[in-house]
This record gives sequence, C-alpha cells and structure tokens, in this order.
Amino acid sequence: MTPAAKSSIDPVPDFLRTYRDRLHGGYDELVDPHGAIRPHWKRFLAELQEIPEPERLARAARLDRRVRETGIAHDIFADPSKPAQRWQLDLAPVIFSSAEWRFLERALTQRARLFDAALSDLYSDQRLMHEGLIPPELVFSDSTYLRPCQNIGARIGQLQFYAADLARGADGNWRVIDSHTETLAGTGFALANRVVHTHIAGDIFKRCNSVRLADYFQRLQGALTAVSGRDNARIALLTPGAHHPDYFSHAYIARYLGYLLVEGRDLVTKGNGIYLKTLEGLKDIDLIVRCVDGRVIDPLELDPGGFEGPAGLLRVYRKAPNLVTNAIGSGIVQNRGLGDWLPGLARTLLGENLLLPDAPRRWLGVGANRDFVLANLDAFVIRKTQEGTGRPGQAALGSDPGTLTAAERTLLEAEIGLHGATLVAEEKIGFSTAPALHADGLAPRPFAVRFFVARTADGYIAMPGGLAMTVNPDHAVALSAPDGHTRDVWIVSDDEQAPHISLWRSTFESARIERTQRLIQSRVADDLFWLGRYSERADWTMRVMRSALRRFAEDNGPATGRRAAQKCLELLLGHRDHEQPVINPGPFEIEGLLASLIKGGKSPRTLERTCRGLHRVAHLTRDRLSLEAWQTLSKFGAGDSWGQSLQTASPNTLLDLLDEGLGSLSAFNGLMHENMTRNFGWSFLDMGRRLERAYNLSEAILTLFVPRPGEEEEQSSLLLLLELADSFITYRSRYRLDPVFPLVLDLLLLDETNPRSLAFQLAALSRHMESLPDPTAGRSLPEARRILLALLTSIRLADVEGMALQANGERLADLMHEQLRLLPEFSSAVSRHYFNLIDETPHRVQTRSAPRP
Amino acid sequence: MIFDVNHKTLYRYSQPVVQSQHLTHMAPRALPRQSVRHHSLIVEPAPALRLDTLDAFGNGVVTLEIEVPHRELILHARSTIETYPPAEIDMGGGLPWDRLDEVLGPGGRAASDLDTIQYRCESRFTTANQDIADYARLSLPPGRSVLAAAMDLTTRIFRDFTFDGSATDISTPITQVLRQRRGVCQDFAHLALACLRTRRIPARYVSGYILTHPAPGQIKLNGADASHAWISVWSPDFGWVDFDPTNGVAAHEEHITVAFGRDYNDVAPISGVLLGGGEHSVSVSVDVAPVQ
Repeated sequence: MTPAAKSSIDPVPDFLRTYRDRLHGGYDELVDPHGAIRPHWKRFLAELQEIPEPERLARAARLDRRVRETGIAHDIFADPSKPAQRWQLDLAPVIFSSAEWRFLERALTQRARLFDAALSDLYSDQRLMHEGLIPPELVFSDSTYLRPCQNIGARIGQLQFYAADLARGADGNWRVIDSHTETLAGTGFALANRVVHTHIAGDIFKRCNSVRLADYFQRLQGALTAVSGRDNARIALLTPGAHHPDYFSHAYIARYLGYLLVEGRDLVTKGNGIYLKTLEGLKDIDLIVRCVDGRVIDPLELDPGGFEGPAGLLRVYRKAPNLVTNAIGSGIVQNRGLGDWLPGLARTLLGENLLLPDAPRRWLGVGANRDFVLANLDAFVIRKTQEGTGRPGQAALGSDPGTLTAAERTLLEAEIGLHGATLVAEEKIGFSTAPALHADGLAPRPFAVRFFVARTADGYIAMPGGLAMTVNPDHAVALSAPDGHTRDVWIVSDDEQAPHISLWRSTFESARIERTQRLIQSRVADDLFWLGRYSERADWTMRVMRSALRRFAEDNGPATGRRAAQKCLELLLGHRDHEQPVINPGPFEIEGLLASLIKGGKSPRTLERTCRGLHRVAHLTRDRLSLEAWQTLSKFGAGDSWGQSLQTASPNTLLDLLDEGLGSLSAFNGLMHENMTRNFGWSFLDMGRRLERAYNLSEAILTLFVPRPGEEEEQSSLLLLLELADSFITYRSRYRLDPVFPLVLDLLLLDETNPRSLAFQLAALSRHMESLPDPTAGRSLPEARRILLALLTSIRLADVEGMALQANGERLADLMHEQLRLLPEFSSAVSRHYFNLIDETPHRVQTRSAPRP
Repeated sequence: MIFDVNHKTLYRYSQPVVQSQHLTHMAPRALPRQSVRHHSLIVEPAPALRLDTLDAFGNGVVTLEIEVPHRELILHARSTIETYPPAEIDMGGGLPWDRLDEVLGPGGRAASDLDTIQYRCESRFTTANQDIADYARLSLPPGRSVLAAAMDLTTRIFRDFTFDGSATDISTPITQVLRQRRGVCQDFAHLALACLRTRRIPARYVSGYILTHPAPGQIKLNGADASHAWISVWSPDFGWVDFDPTNGVAAHEEHITVAFGRDYNDVAPISGVLLGGGEHSVSVSVDVAPVQ
C-alpha cells in the first residue's frame, strides 16, 4: 500500500471492498444488519490495514508452513487411498466481544454443571429416569451407557472436561449442535492453532487486547493435580494410539501439560492397583486422563473387543473412583436425543433456566416423533444419537433424505422403524458467517465453533478461545469441515491483559527440581530405538545415492568408481546381499538403480520406505521430540513437496535434494544430541543409530573388498568408503596420502576416536548397555551385553595389516560376517530384554457350549 | 426337584500364560422358581485375587486374577439347587403386546420399573434387521397377549431351525443365523430376544442348565450335559415367564437358572483376558444329576 493510498479518505479498506456484497442475509459476525462494522472487530481491521498486502500474503503462507511443520495437518495413519486430511489455519480469527463471551461462558459452564449432575444421577439412584425426566429407553439403547459402572461414585464428580459445538442461527441466537462429554474432544487442536497463530500474528493478537489461554490451562493443571491427590503426581493421558484421528491433539496436550502419554498396552492391573510398564519395571499411576471411549477401556468387564485400556481397569476403578477422569461411562449425556429434555433437567437439577438450547432435533425413540418425521422426511437430516470421538471437523453428516435414491430411502425408513431409539431427526439450521482471508481480501464464510470447559477448584471454567471451522451450510448440521479450514477464536477484552505466561515454561512455584530419569514406557523405548535406526538408515541411503550420483555425473571419472557405487546401490535394492554377492544382476546402470531406490522397489531399504518409516516412528515418539526436531523431520512425510520433487528430479536437482535431506537429518541429529536429556530414552535412540551404522559399514566393507578387487577398483572403493563414512577429511589430515587399504581399515574399523568407525559404534553401544537398568541385578551377564562383548573384542583384536596382505580377503570376510551375524542377534536380545516386559498383546477367551438337543 | 450340578472347565495353553484375569457367572441365583442349597467354585492354579460380588443385574460374579505362569487352568463349579414347578398360566390371557406402552410408557403404572424397561432395548447380540422384524411379525398379530406371542415365537423357532453345533460360533450374527436356519441354544435365544425387542417387548437372556434325557434304551453318560440358554419374557399380569426356543417349550422344573442379562455378553459363564498362552483348547463337562 502506498502512502498515498494510506492517507486516502476512503474509510473502507481494500480488503473489505467486496465483503458486504458477498453476504447472504444471515447473521454476520463482522457486519451488523445495517452494514456497519461491529465495534469489537474494529481494532483488528485497523491492525490488518497496517500490514501491506504482500506481507499479509507472506504471513498467510508462513502460517500454512507452520501448520504443516507442527504436524496439525498430518495424519499419516489415515487410509493412504484417501486424500490426506487437510488443516488450514486462517490468518483472520473469529472475534467475540467480552460481553458475548460472558454470556457464552455462563451458558457453557451451566451445561457442564447440568451434565455432571445428570451423570451422577444416571449412575446412582436414577431418579431422573424414574420420574420420566430422561426417557429410560434413550439411555438403555445407548451403548455408551455402561451398566457395570453403576454406583461408582467419583467424589470429584463425573465430568472434568466438556466441549460443545455451537452454531449461530440467522436470528443471532446460539445453539448447541453437539456436546462432547466423553474425552477432551480435540482441545489440543485449539491450543496448537493458537500457538501457531501467535507465532505469525502475535503482534496483532496483543494489540487487539485478546485474552490468552495459558491461565485456563494452568488452572486445569492445578485441578488435575488436586484430583490426583498429591503434588508430585504421575498423571497419564490415555490415548488409543497413533492411529486415532485425534492423536495429534492427545500428544500435543500431554506435552503441554507435562503428562505421560500412554496407551492401553502400557498399562497393567494387578490386584487393586494399576501400573505403567517401564524400562525400570512397573510404576504406579495416580490419575488417568481418559482420551479413549469408555466402552472400550476394559476388555474384561466392558466391550470384549475393546483393548484401549488394560483388562481389569474397572475393578481397580471401583476401589479408586478418582483414578480416571472423565468418569468412565460419561458419554451417555452427549446423546443427541436428549435436547428436548434439557430445559426440564436444568430446572429440576439446577433450579435454573437453560441458557443455551440444543439445535432443533427430535429423538426417534418417541413414537409420535417417528410418525411425524416419516411423514415429513425431506425436512430432516437423520443422524445417529452417538458418534465415536474423532478429529474435530470430521463429524458424520448423517442421511439427508432429499439426496437419497428411492431404494436408499426405503432402507432409511425401515431403519427408523427398527432402530429409532438410536437416531435423531435434525432440522437444517443456518450458520452465521465470519471473515476468512482470501487472496482478494476478506470474504464471509459460514462457521461453527467448538468451545471447551474444564472443572477447577472454583467450579467449571470455559477456555477463552475455541476452534472455529468453516462448514458447508448446504448439508451440514454438524461440525463438519470438508476442507479443513479453521480459524482461531479471539475474545477481545475490555480489561488489561495479564502478562504472558506459558506452560511450556513452568512458573517458579509449580516448577520442581527433578533430576531423576523421567519415566519411559517400554513401548516408547522401542519406538525411539527405531527412530535412531531409521534416521541413520536414511542418512546412509542418501549418502550412497549422493556418491553414486556424483560418480555418474563425472563422465570422465574412473569406471571403477561407478562400479563400486553400483555395488552399494545394488545392496540397498536387495539385488545382492553379503551372503550371495549377486542375486539378480540387473541390467541397471546407476541412473536406473537410483530411480528404483527413489520410487521404491520391493526392497525394505529403499529411500521411500526408509523415509516413511522414519516419519512414522517420529510421529509415534512425537511427545518426546522438541518442536524443532519434529519440524526437521516433517519433510520425510508422505505429502511433503521434498518427497514429491525427488520423484521427478533430474540428476542435478536430485543432488541438491539429497544434500537438503542430509542437511535435515544432521540438523535433527544435532538437535537431539544437544537437547535431549541423557535418560534411557536417549540411550535407546542412540543405540538404534549406532547399531544401524555398524551394520551398514560392515556390509559395505564386505561388499566392496571381498573378494579383493583389482588395484584400480580397490583405490576407487576406498575413496567411496571414506566418503560414505564421512571420514575423508580425517584420513587426509592424518596421512596426506592416497587411500591405502590397511590405513583406511584402521581408521574405519579400529579407531575408537573416530565417531564413524565400527569400534566407536560398538564401544558406544557398550556404554549405553551398562547405563541401562538390569532387572536380573547382575546375576549373570545379560545376553545382549555378552553378544556386544564378543563383537567389540573381535574388532579390537583384528590385525588389519595382516588382512591387507591376505590376497583372498578371507580373514576380513570372516570378521565382517561375524559382525553381520551378531548385530541382528544383539538387536533382538535388546528387544526381548527391554521391550516385552510383559510379553504379547492381551487377548480374550470365552467359552461357549450348548447341550445336545 | 433337587439337582446336583457339576460344571468343570479345563483350559490348556500351548504357551505359558503369564497373567490371566477371569470373570465367571457360574453361581446359580436364588429365584421364586428355585433355591440354591449349595454352591462352590474351585480354581487351579490358585488365584492371587478372588472377588465375589453381584453384577449390575443382580447375578453372582466372581473375578479371578492368576499371577503364576500356567499352562492349564481348571474351574470347577458345584451346585445343589431345588427347583419348583412353574405356576399354571393362561398364556392367552393378559395384556396384548401392542398395549405394553400403556403400562411401561410415560404415565404407565410400571413407567419407573427400569429393571424391566432396560430389557425392551436392543443390545449388541440382539441387533435386528428387517428380516428379523419380518420373521417376528408372524407371531405378533395385533391384540395377541404378550405370553401367547412369546410361546408362538418359541414354537416357530423350534420348528423352523435345526440345532447344529458346527454352524455358528460366538461371533456369528443372528441375521446370519436366521438366513441359514441353524445354530445352537445361544443363537436361538438371541434371535428370539431380537424378535421380541423389535416390538419393544421386555425379554432377557437366561443362562443355566437343563436336565437331559438319554435316548430310549441308552444309558446317560457322565459329562454329557451342558450349559444351556433360553429367554424370559415379561408380562404385566404374570411377571417374568421363561421360554426355551431350543426345545420349543415353556421352561419347567428341569431348567436351572444361573444368571440373566441383556444377552450372552452380560452372563458368559467364563470370560477372560490373558497375557501369553498362545493357542488354547478348552474342554467342558457338565453333569446335571437329579437327587433322589
């Protein structure tokens, strides 16, 4: 914007010029019915106007990148045949005035109190059902109502977390389109959106005097500590695992609050206790924050197929009802059919009028509703009364009879007749619009918003923010965001804001010095081990490719160099292995071999598979990595442009891309090396890396030098090996000679000061093994350490001069073969010893028998 | 009549079981129709934890946790029960099924009888489809009394279905049972429940034992009996009345009730979650012996 334009008298900024024309006559958050800007938006618009258009676009692009790097958008476990779930965060937030927020706050916390009281009754004397204030058949037809939880009265109440999806109709009134009383319902997404958005637009946020979230989370943290019953509580967030669509949120919030992220198989019950399986044995747990559906939390007493919690949990929970929050079984009150009964419940249970009603819908368990809906089917959308927990914005849309074929319609009618008690009929509702930033300025887009409520010592409080998502008003009655377009939610305050606090850094009072090893689950140790292996494997593969590519590009270089590189490529592709030098002498030249390494053949060691594996385990260990470390690995994900460019790259750009990939890996290794505390987790990560490096090096030596090649090829092979092992400079500075076989072998096999040598890897593995807890308490040398001792000793005793003199290379071959045989044995000994503390997955048995007729 | 019931279950595992937790429903409950004179459950290896409680339906349930590695598990339940002949009922009398809402619906005299109302609703193993609703309709003409309808359905299932222990397993859905017209007592009980619940008639699953009679001229073999399953249907006039679709009869003195619930899942005699164990085999022997 030029200074001239800025001083123009036109009161409407460029980016608002077409906004009013695009309004459809419903309620708009920005513009009132008379066309005037609502006061609580003015500050934001003024701030936006201050930013020149190119910078605005640049900020939007940075926001996109940050969303991707943070991992909000990633869902690597989604069905690969489906397009990746998208997540976009708009630079423009949805803004609410503090007056409006005061109402919403009261209304949301009222609903939390209401549901809490209703739950307490449903799981105790059931007065509400006796008196017909809740239809009994609605409850008994709902599989989230868990009979075995009857009379487990938590002293702390049933509901710790509540979330509600709200939409504002054309009349300007809010309605609840869905309630979430089962789990945290994606709080982590709202928090991540805010954190990312603040990176890009924190200056605007601050100048708009918007309310921060940290206070809410701090009070929540205090509340959970109080529930757990002790100060140094061990609190765990129980997640279904990385395959769950809401996993990002679980990992993010666990990390933010400083809690352990555990899965059902990390836990085990014994007697009346529940324990976490760690490297150091079984450890107590004080509080489980439940992010799995209650129904599948105990395969013994609840759904026999539900292994998302440990068998026997209910038995322990009966003795200690404060162990799990939200209370198990709390999902029943989010039943969509309850809407008609809520006003009555509010009067009976709270003595208050319900402030915020549900969207208009009818429960089809009532005969009269069924008849009416069947007679007027096109006016409704049919949905289930319950939907599992998932990623925000992925709510099922239900059946819209207007869009069905005659046959589908008949089926739907039959379904209503048969299973009406589990269905509701919804009237379509309007959605209000709020500005979203497009390339040509702000445009109104319809949205719904999720708000979050938590219980604290002072009662329920609402998070002063939320997760707004753009919905398609044509067929949505739910928080369903088909294009993943989200907006941060700002509450602009009339008061002065408290200084910035963040839970990433604890305040002095809540901080405590803790140098003991942070607990580590056996499962996490396993994943970190593989993270180390995959990162080293990716590094090695890219080095091999880069060296090969260089030799391919230098047409005038010696042919023997290309031959050596080709051998290493064939090794990775599985065209040869160290037992059988040539399995499949493919017709490939280097170019073809590189292409199959990128596009992926059958070999498990192609670059593509390695990168996928790396990204997958990084995702699994997400809560153990720093944000920066995670960001350096994000390029190895399936959807990233780096991987896509690889596929089509010419040799020259390929070289650049490989350099870039290697750069990211060394940044990752550097970050881990500098920033990760030296606990057991670090040991496993580093052991994975050392093991992989030792294996790759041994294999390359065997392939390149056994049988001993001719003199010229030996020379080329030595150069290649030094390059692959990143030791060329070391060699040159030490010897100022062309590579000589025994000297190179000494540097790469025996020299324990060279971090790339085999001996260095083995010595490092030894040190790690000695630092790890040993459950056998030293009665005998554990298997893994015994194998390692054998490996290290044979290398230390190796006579490289003698090997160099031997023409057939037999002694070198024996030495390397032994390494290649024992290293995998060491790996499995480690996993047997540490990763399967209580072995195997649990499974369920049932007997069935029947009399002969 | 008085019966001694010996119910012995033996599990064998190919690998050692590291930890196992079990839930058993093997203790017969007291009812107007029967009294329990004696019951014991012996478990080997000895459990580290044993809890005797009542479940949400009032059935006795035993929770077991075994901590010693084992390759064999024995559960031996012994009970002595006295049963009484059911009262004579005029099944044709009583309230018609299509007027049940007058009693159980809002404002009805049993509207707060939640224990009964819960059995009007579908459960996991009794989820109906249109075929099941159509099959049920033939037994449910307007105006027929609840019990007459249940008796008719019981007889039809007995007539239309073949008992076949190899046709189904625990996970076979009743929609398939209906298509293939084969199954075992659990399948028939679930099917009958699903049929009745399509019209919201309160009906529950009963797990128990039945005295079996050898074919004429043959001797009854030891261990030849088995656990059995049937249904119980609620009528506002007569309360809960039991029907046995597998045998096409109303339950009588030779039916011994152990437990009841919404379906098999609520009252499975033994269910467990194991760590380790590999493959397992199970052998069950049941003897129901009348005490002279």
